[in-house]
Amino acid sequence: MSSLDRKMDRILRREESGTARRGIKNRTLRKIFANKLSIAGFVIFAVIMLMCVCAPLFTQYSSTKVDLRSILEAPSASHIFGTDKIGRDIWARILYGGRVSIGVGFGSALIATVIGVSLGTICGYKGGWLDGVVMKLSEVLMAFPQMILVLILVTVTGQSLWNLILIFSVTGWPSMYRMARSQMLSIREEEYVQALKAFGIGSMRIAFVHMLPNAIGPIFVNVTLSTAMFILQEASLSFLGLGVPLEVATWGNILNVAQDLTILKDAPWIWLPTGIVVTLFVVSINFIGDGLRDATDPSQIG
Amino acid sequence: MATYTLRKVLSLIPMMLFISFLIYLGIELMPGDAVDFLIPPDALATMSAEQLNAMRESLGLNDPFLVRYFKWLGGLLQGEFGYSIQSGVPVATLMKNHLPATIELTVTALIFSSIFGVLFGVLSALKKGSLIDQVFSLIGMVGVAVPQFLLGLICINAFALHLNLLPAGGRMASAGQSFVERLPYLVMPALVLGFSLTAGVMRYARSSMLDSMGRDYMKTARAKGIPEWRVNLLHGLRTALTPVVVLIGFRLPMLIGGAVVIEEVFQWPGIGSLFVNAVRSQNTPLVMMIGFFSVLLVLISSIMVDIVTAFLDPRIKLG
Amino acid sequence: MKVKKLLCLLLSAAMLAAAVAGCSGEKPAQDTAANAPEATGGGGSEEPGGNAGSDAQTAGTPLADVRVRQALAYAIDIDAIVETLFDGKAEKAVSFTAPGDWLNTEIPVYEYNPEKAKELLKEANWPADYTLDVVYYYDDQQTVDLMTIIGQYWQEVGVKAQFRKLEGDLASQLWVPPADMVNGPAAVKWDLAYAAVAALSESEFYNRFASTASNNSSVPRQDGLDELIERSNATMDTDEQKAAFKDIQQFVAENVLAMPLYHQVCFIYTSNDLDTAGSVFGNDQFSYEKNILDWTISRDDHTMYTNGGPQEFFWYPMVNPGYMINTELVFDKLINADSSLNPTDGMLAESYTVSEDGLSIEFVLRDGLTWHDGEPLTAEDVKFTLELMLKAPGTNAVASEVMQAITGAADFISGAAGDLAGVTIDGSKVTVSFDKVSANALLVFSQWPVLPKHCLENADPAALQQDAFWQKPIGSGPFMVDEVVLNNYATLKRWDGYYKQGTGNIETIYMFASGENDSNLVVNATAGKIDYAWSKSTDEAKAIEALDFMSVNVANIRYTRCFYINQFPHEANIK
Repeated sequence: MSSLDRKMDRILRREESGTARRGIKNRTLRKIFANKLSIAGFVIFAVIMLMCVCAPLFTQYSSTKVDLRSILEAPSASHIFGTDKIGRDIWARILYGGRVSIGVGFGSALIATVIGVSLGTICGYKGGWLDGVVMKLSEVLMAFPQMILVLILVTVTGQSLWNLILIFSVTGWPSMYRMARSQMLSIREEEYVQALKAFGIGSMRIAFVHMLPNAIGPIFVNVTLSTAMFILQEASLSFLGLGVPLEVATWGNILNVAQDLTILKDAPWIWLPTGIVVTLFVVSINFIGDGLRDATDPSQIG
Repeated sequence: MATYTLRKVLSLIPMMLFISFLIYLGIELMPGDAVDFLIPPDALATMSAEQLNAMRESLGLNDPFLVRYFKWLGGLLQGEFGYSIQSGVPVATLMKNHLPATIELTVTALIFSSIFGVLFGVLSALKKGSLIDQVFSLIGMVGVAVPQFLLGLICINAFALHLNLLPAGGRMASAGQSFVERLPYLVMPALVLGFSLTAGVMRYARSSMLDSMGRDYMKTARAKGIPEWRVNLLHGLRTALTPVVVLIGFRLPMLIGGAVVIEEVFQWPGIGSLFVNAVRSQNTPLVMMIGFFSVLLVLISSIMVDIVTAFLDPRIKLG
Repeated sequence: MKVKKLLCLLLSAAMLAAAVAGCSGEKPAQDTAANAPEATGGGGSEEPGGNAGSDAQTAGTPLADVRVRQALAYAIDIDAIVETLFDGKAEKAVSFTAPGDWLNTEIPVYEYNPEKAKELLKEANWPADYTLDVVYYYDDQQTVDLMTIIGQYWQEVGVKAQFRKLEGDLASQLWVPPADMVNGPAAVKWDLAYAAVAALSESEFYNRFASTASNNSSVPRQDGLDELIERSNATMDTDEQKAAFKDIQQFVAENVLAMPLYHQVCFIYTSNDLDTAGSVFGNDQFSYEKNILDWTISRDDHTMYTNGGPQEFFWYPMVNPGYMINTELVFDKLINADSSLNPTDGMLAESYTVSEDGLSIEFVLRDGLTWHDGEPLTAEDVKFTLELMLKAPGTNAVASEVMQAITGAADFISGAAGDLAGVTIDGSKVTVSFDKVSANALLVFSQWPVLPKHCLENADPAALQQDAFWQKPIGSGPFMVDEVVLNNYATLKRWDGYYKQGTGNIETIYMFASGENDSNLVVNATAGKIDYAWSKSTDEAKAIEALDFMSVNVANIRYTRCFYINQFPHEANIK
């Protein structure tokens, strides 16, 4: 606990000398802002998000407009990241592709969270046979190596954007469920819950209105980390040609052409910037997630 | 201990039955069947419905779903793994042919990631807050975030296409080469696969080492005047390693699932590429068995981890 | 609590934005052709007069109007596509038939002319709200790129199209003919289907336009066309065949019954280590005389490296008899063929004679022929093979047609006869007699090999490919299967029992395992481990061209990519 002691001393010193920051009253926010990495993460995240959402403001090209007169052009003033094999602007494809990739990542994480957290809250609070069944189901799903399960499901449902979101949601909810359930199990024993019960408040109300908000920190951490994971998975699947149909621009589909050794060697502008953007975006989400975790973890002082 | 293990193992059986049924159901729901992949689309145009039906009949595809499932299950219980629907080759033979490549790749990656993960993690912990610590944690962050295949592509581009140092893919240039001769083929895929695994081990080892460094017995050891490196190495590291070993144990089955992408990027002829091809061509028996074994591997290693942790930590009650 | 709610709000807002962006981002992509111009200023403006119930739609589908089909052809600039997407390594198609003496040079050609296309569409009252449903079944990037480009060309003349890849049971989705070949309705849903025809003979291109064809899912019965097709099939005389095919080409092109796009070529890669003794390269999708026994290799171990080794099995030859080099070299045929696939002299047959009326062919087998395992190869094997081809699934259309023309084939298939009456054996003489003249008979005997009866007589014909024989087949060709490691490599060994000995020195052929598309080809070639291989991929040709120790030879093949156009009445599949 020496580091803790040192930290305490530091805080004490700051408070005594009057240099402790007064600007932000709230501890969680203060902790987030104190974490430089998560600030950096948030800035990168915001920039990429903004550029993708407002893509038309940042490029005059369309992501689908073919131009056979300018194929495989290296980066230049007119095409800042060059063009691909059929003359589409790479920069525009990264921006518009980002909409889909981020949408898939966030959408899936959100659905998985809603399913997992609702089930976890209900099951964690009430227990009983429902809990048993859902628990077994989550065990079954978690017994599969992720990629193998996703591949089987992709073949079952066929390739489409919505199917991919569905598959990610199906494979993603068990961990959310586990996490929410364990949170509920520990909160259930707290005194205020017993008090609410004594007041005769409905159990669903207690679980969702009074208990769930106390577990919101870890849930958000999980949402961010799942989003990052799903974005990576979409990219991998599309790279294998088993993800989003190839005609839809996504980060993974832009990278798909790099399987051709000639492109890989001679036209790095097609795949390298896209790869960097994916990596940056995932890193930024992870930074935010880490920051959130530290900030909402009461065992850490800041 | 024995009853605990036995109970754990027995609990696997209903689970595996259910999972096998699920996989079979999934394959049943896939559009089309194996016949569609045996005959190219242009040739399909010239075949009569009776011909196709005769083919389905002789491949046993016309039986009702449940009949086929129980036939397969019955065969499995008698140690009969089934035959690849396309070639009639026993699934066991196919898996036997591909397993060495996957094991070669994943074990190398696992060893690599364990050694370097622990090394860097411990180093980071010892020099906490230093430049080295920060560099390592940044590398760790990137390692988790960079898509495996992208790293693979960058390596192929740099080391194979531009520098011509290593082959761009495949496992061997010609038959029966010794391991040493095959080594150049292994380097890139194993390092790329190992890199993303290293990051996780590194973070885990770092926090575990930090944890054990703060323990009282370390202070005692230091107080006794034992040199710092000995304290860290003998006392700190040993305690810190136990959870890391458990983590690595958990990783073992993940390597089969996780190697799918890498095997495709580097055209590595292992279970992963066999699986992708089997899924694409709806080779039911093959998909079943690979899916089944990977699940079995996950469950067995999780039981093993349970047992090992229980064994190591007396606070966990058995039963 | 407040902060948590704030956090909550912040993140949900971000996610909502992303989700909305995701949805709107995917729309223009899903609907490539139609919505793309939003960013570029609305190129696909509304066509005047394109309201529902117009002329074009009363026929049950706008595609029944020949002007619409012509317009779709006029709208595509194939020259530009060939030049860019295919890097100049393909040939624009004006007909299914590739340029050469089989092509009718008088047929109408639909050169790129968007103005003309717009005009025709206007004349035909093209319904502007109609969205074409275009299907394809290839999963490569190039196909998707091509579809994107074509979608854009059509959109520029005001035709919307959506493209989708078919999954699952392709036969029932693509090639089911309607019950009524005149009035329809269509038994398939799509408007246009992107497909390829890898033809062995010209008839494979055109037989499918007949109203009697079992795979004609798109073209209603045309006056006079069936008779033209009949004429082309009823003769073994090449000149008569050419004349008949030229008439069919004219008919198909005038009416745009289908839209040929481009011919693929075959790239044959050879390394500097290999001396092919002046052999002429040709259509490597099939078998032709390569004189491989005369080839010399400068490697010390006398090994020639190639691809096409078995992944799970050696392919049975019914579907593709010469696609893989192993099939070609392990199994011998009755007759030889030259690089343009014209039947030449005998192979297993020392000689052959076609009767005056073309209704029977007599083969005289060489003396002392054996299989690789030493068993004698006899006329019984020939008869057995023909019977097997009638019963095995997937037998190629041309071969199947020839087999079914053999006297007694129908009785044999139905089980009424125990053997094939049209095949008679007299010592080493085999006579095959036909009920009607079969134009492609010699071609088929020069491509489909003779299979060993003693190995396959107990095999289930319906599951022939699953027989253990195909793990390590026994043939009668110049090379025999030696070592097999499935999905890894296999080697062939020069067989000293072959009926002739060449001047070359290749003792072993090492084959890397690969399927139809060998993703390792460029990698292996770069590593200097390919001496001979072929592919149709322009990307691979480009990459191998760049290697200074490899040469790329180009051969024309009968391989045409096209759109089939569903002219039977059907409901719009995309509403």
